[in-house]
Amino acid sequence: MIQKVRVQTAGQDNIKVYRLEGASEKEAKVLAEKLLSERTNQKYTINQPIHLWGVQAHPRGVSAVEIAYKPGVMNPEVESIMKAASDLGIKLIACDSSTEYFSQKVSFNPLIEHIVTEEPQTLLIKEKPAKTRIIPVRNLNAQELLDLSNETLFLNLEEMQTIQKYFKKIKRDPTDLELETLAQTWSEHSGHKTFKADLIVDGKKKLPLMTRLKKEALKHDKNIVSAFSDNSGVMDFYDGFGICGKVETHNSPSAIEPYGGAMTGSGGVFRDIAATGKGAKNIASTDIFCFAPVDLPASELPVGCLPPEYLLKRVVTGVRDYGNRMGIPTNNGSVHFHKDFRAKPTVIVGAFGITPKKYAIKEKPKLGDLIICVGGKTGRDGIHGATFSSGEMTDQTMGVHSSAVQIGNAIEEKRIFDALLDARNENLIRLVQDCGGGGFSSAIGEIGEELGVSINLENAPLKYQGLAPWEIWMSESQERMIVVLQRKNLGKFKEICKKYNVEFAVLGQFDGSKKLNVSFGSEVVGNLDMKFLHQGLPKRVMKANKPSNVIPADAGIQRAISSQASLLNESRSELDPRLRGDDRVEQPKSEKEWVKVLEKVLAHGNVCSKEPIVRLYDHSVQGTNDLQPFSGINLDGPNDSPVLRPFLDKKYGVIISHGLNPVLNSIDPYWGSIWAATEALSNFVSVGGDYKEACLINNYVWPFPDEQSLWSLDRSVDAVVDFMKVFKIPIISGKDSLSSTYRGKDGVVIKIPPVLCISVLGKIPDTGKTVTTDFKQVGSTIVLVGKMSESLGGSTYFDVRPTYVGDPSLIAQDDITMVPKVDLKILSKTFDAIHKGIQTGKILSSHDISEGGIIGAIFEMCVGGDCGVEIELNTSDGGRLKRSGSHDSSHVLKESNEVKRPDQFLFNETAGCFIVEVENKSVAEQFFKSVPYKILGKTKEGNKMEIYGNEEKLFVADVNDLKKVWQEPMRRMFP
Amino acid sequence: MEDCFATSWSRNDERGMQMIKPKVLVLKADGTNRDGEMTYAFKVAGGDPKIVHVNELRNGSEKMSDYQILALPGGFAYGDDIVSGKILAIELTSFLRAEMKKFIERKDTAIIGVCNGFQVLVRTGLLPFRKIGEMDVTLTNNDSGHFECRWIKVKVNGKNTSKFLQGMDGAMWLPVAHGEGKFFTDKKTLKEIEDKNLVAFRYVDDDGNPTQKYPDNPNGALNAIVGITDETGRIFGMMPHPECFIREEQHPNWRRGTVKVAGLPIFENIVKFVKEAK
Repeated sequence: MIQKVRVQTAGQDNIKVYRLEGASEKEAKVLAEKLLSERTNQKYTINQPIHLWGVQAHPRGVSAVEIAYKPGVMNPEVESIMKAASDLGIKLIACDSSTEYFSQKVSFNPLIEHIVTEEPQTLLIKEKPAKTRIIPVRNLNAQELLDLSNETLFLNLEEMQTIQKYFKKIKRDPTDLELETLAQTWSEHSGHKTFKADLIVDGKKKLPLMTRLKKEALKHDKNIVSAFSDNSGVMDFYDGFGICGKVETHNSPSAIEPYGGAMTGSGGVFRDIAATGKGAKNIASTDIFCFAPVDLPASELPVGCLPPEYLLKRVVTGVRDYGNRMGIPTNNGSVHFHKDFRAKPTVIVGAFGITPKKYAIKEKPKLGDLIICVGGKTGRDGIHGATFSSGEMTDQTMGVHSSAVQIGNAIEEKRIFDALLDARNENLIRLVQDCGGGGFSSAIGEIGEELGVSINLENAPLKYQGLAPWEIWMSESQERMIVVLQRKNLGKFKEICKKYNVEFAVLGQFDGSKKLNVSFGSEVVGNLDMKFLHQGLPKRVMKANKPSNVIPADAGIQRAISSQASLLNESRSELDPRLRGDDRVEQPKSEKEWVKVLEKVLAHGNVCSKEPIVRLYDHSVQGTNDLQPFSGINLDGPNDSPVLRPFLDKKYGVIISHGLNPVLNSIDPYWGSIWAATEALSNFVSVGGDYKEACLINNYVWPFPDEQSLWSLDRSVDAVVDFMKVFKIPIISGKDSLSSTYRGKDGVVIKIPPVLCISVLGKIPDTGKTVTTDFKQVGSTIVLVGKMSESLGGSTYFDVRPTYVGDPSLIAQDDITMVPKVDLKILSKTFDAIHKGIQTGKILSSHDISEGGIIGAIFEMCVGGDCGVEIELNTSDGGRLKRSGSHDSSHVLKESNEVKRPDQFLFNETAGCFIVEVENKSVAEQFFKSVPYKILGKTKEGNKMEIYGNEEKLFVADVNDLKKVWQEPMRRMFP
Repeated sequence: MEDCFATSWSRNDERGMQMIKPKVLVLKADGTNRDGEMTYAFKVAGGDPKIVHVNELRNGSEKMSDYQILALPGGFAYGDDIVSGKILAIELTSFLRAEMKKFIERKDTAIIGVCNGFQVLVRTGLLPFRKIGEMDVTLTNNDSGHFECRWIKVKVNGKNTSKFLQGMDGAMWLPVAHGEGKFFTDKKTLKEIEDKNLVAFRYVDDDGNPTQKYPDNPNGALNAIVGITDETGRIFGMMPHPECFIREEQHPNWRRGTVKVAGLPIFENIVKFVKEAK
């Protein structure tokens, strides 16, 4: 018997519904009164409709629509209800919760939720046990092998034939579990086949991308504790500790179920930190998203894709609900918009942690060591996540791969982490492994490579009966981790798990067989050679070619300039304004036009204030944040990077930052990537960091690696390698996701602008010696420090100027490839000058230049300082340019920051340049003599930004008016 | 306890000083997440804090009677499922009712609940009227409908005589981070709370006046109520996080030189009170 309790909160017209199975009506009443409702502001009914209270009458004919999670989808509330009922002495068999809406428009995601139309007879899921199947592969021809692969395996013919050969050799056919294990281990997601492939770029052989990255990185090992070998990269910190970082993407799940996708993305990356070495503590998280503009017309949304506004809102909600519950501060992130992200959003989640160095490296398992699963139970959810995310997005993706989507339960993960840190501190653990993409198959397959393992899947705790062994093995049910420990530590480990309410099961042990032995009870369901599993994957040789077109970039660009745009199903043939040459945009002619253009830039999705999002994330938990996301008189000036004190009683700290620019990458993958890395490191330096004490993490979110996209990926990797060379700092972790291409039924192909996201993790001896962006006082001198490129290709400024209409074929290559090129030689000197200025307390505030340009940076500093500025720009002959140490005046002009045209100067977005506030001119002269710099003006009382060019007024804008425009877009999205 | 704090603190501990430090039970359950900060705050204030899991109280390996201060930190105990703090409150009133009763009947004890801890205190009935198992006020969804993380200003209610609130005047900065912080009750109970001067702090605007305006009042709390005490002044709960403002650098504007550390005095007052109480 199921008792149905409805609860309404005063003033709200959605009704919470609880179904309690196994309770009497009397018991349901006890639960309704003590647990499910509160008399101060709620009322309830049992097995009866509720009369709405405190809300206006509903239009006639509107009846309640009940939305519930589908059976089998994680509903985190269920466990709590069961627990509290038991605490109150009431034994339930099962329960569920859902919501009744009285609105005419109810939105829900049919992948995970459904409309309840019939009262369920029971809430228990009962299925017949499924059997292990043998899949005949030995006699299949090439086409049949491909057909088999295309269903779920996503392997190519050569790989399928390698598998066929192996089973011919051992004279039997594989089980479903074995085939799934191979497909998962060899998937792009787990195997990084493209990054490990031998390359032929424009006809010339090149080393694999991974080899090039690792080789350069390991040359700069001063701060490396472990790189590329664990679930996160670890760098040296102070007092015997290491700090670690991992950045992941969760694009595919987020594309079809953004709330669950963002949650499980966060949960997964936190587990990567927790599964570093013998366990690390999470101290921060970052979130970086790319979507199509939220005002994208519905007609331009490809079939099978979700609208960007919905994606943005739900992704943010997912991050909020997971990160906040975990008690991990989310204090750094960004949101970027470009039309071509309508193909697939980019959702990047980062996590950072700390661990004593003595626990930072995994111990090698020994014969007889136990393999233990802790945390959540295993269900059918998330099967094929790893292989699914390696595939492209199509109009079928939503329907076919829905089982790859899940909802997270943060509290389950939180208590696992609490327990694991306790166990680590008692030195009970050999190693911890995350159970993420590929489930047990991936986690256990990896750690068992050397010794071999025996696993009995019958021991795995299940959410419900009826899972086939291969499903248990492949399931990506969230909040599970694998722990390896010596048999003698089992008792103590069990006790700790019990204390923290963590479920626990011994799955198997290391057996020395060098095989993957999987059984279900007495039935053998898998028996693979570890060597074949891990080394049998044929190495790929992949070709990359520069697009033959004059335009060295991807489809987005080709679309824009192609006179045959219709071929790509694009009705609009105008030129993407970002690609125009500088001189094709005219300088604003009047004060009014200046202000209008500035407002457009500030309201641009890539520039506008993200404060309403940041306020939804708990960025203050752990109490470690010594430089918060926003500061200034009204606490609304955005800062460049958070600075954290992981030990509240120690002065030293961690700085975390990131940078990316998909727009530039789509024009010029090399310089776009240099820009991203420069921006990331500039954010780090701008708050006071010394770049020599930083490590990098690179994430590539790319279209499917066809020859052209692989060419741009190759260029991007070249850029990252060059960047490491110049700054002598390493990449310590990274990830690639090469499936962001959309293929529609009607032949539409959309590639996202390629994303290289560089994250920075570094240390600083004293968090007190850091600065924020808000102007600190009136009358200070404002200085531009760093060498500016003259190019504005890919800038926000070009994006908001009236669309150029003309013959696209007339555009010369130079015009569109002119993205800002950062001068890396000067950049290290610039970084040193900024660092020194902050350490000595002479720089009062600093902000690096990125989207929005110089004027955008100054504006944000005015917001924080609640003040105005007077900026004086003198064009070339104005004579304000300085570069001491050189007597060659022409050289000075070339090397310095010449103002040719005020608009191109003010909206310039060259990364690696800084706006800083110093007491007076002589401070600037003293600190910046070895780098290009330019004194721009002074801070002023009041809220006016006054901009002059050659002593003539260009425009005056009111900071508070601009602020409204700058804050409005995200306030509208997140009221 | 979190290893990191243990490492650095054990080094700083002065031998023998432990004896005179009041013992603080920092209560932890699944999903509690500000236990580290709470521990740090009491440590700096001169207490001797220990993080204790509710299971340890239930199985008897830890006893409330061994402590002088009970601190309920912030977080999302059991996911804040149903409503915030509910599941833990039920657990406490089901299994630790007698222990809690004894604890509050002693004259030398103090209880502080912050954020989720405050939500638990009102749902156990300890606040405002010390009636374990009977709920008179609630902390419900913010009027904005969403979680809010920001710094706000509060002002002490001068008429509340709790020793925990001594020496505080003027507007104080504190961080809030919650989605269910709106103080709410019926008119009669509200009047009783006001009449008995149980309000501890109120949200104030730039001029220092109690406010209902968002975001200065981040949740729409009735009468701008931030936190309350019981009649003895020994049980205290509030939504903002004083344990996260123990040192200057935790405030976003410490570089502007205009902030005063507002959280620490509360903990110092509590420690002082239980030390002097007999």
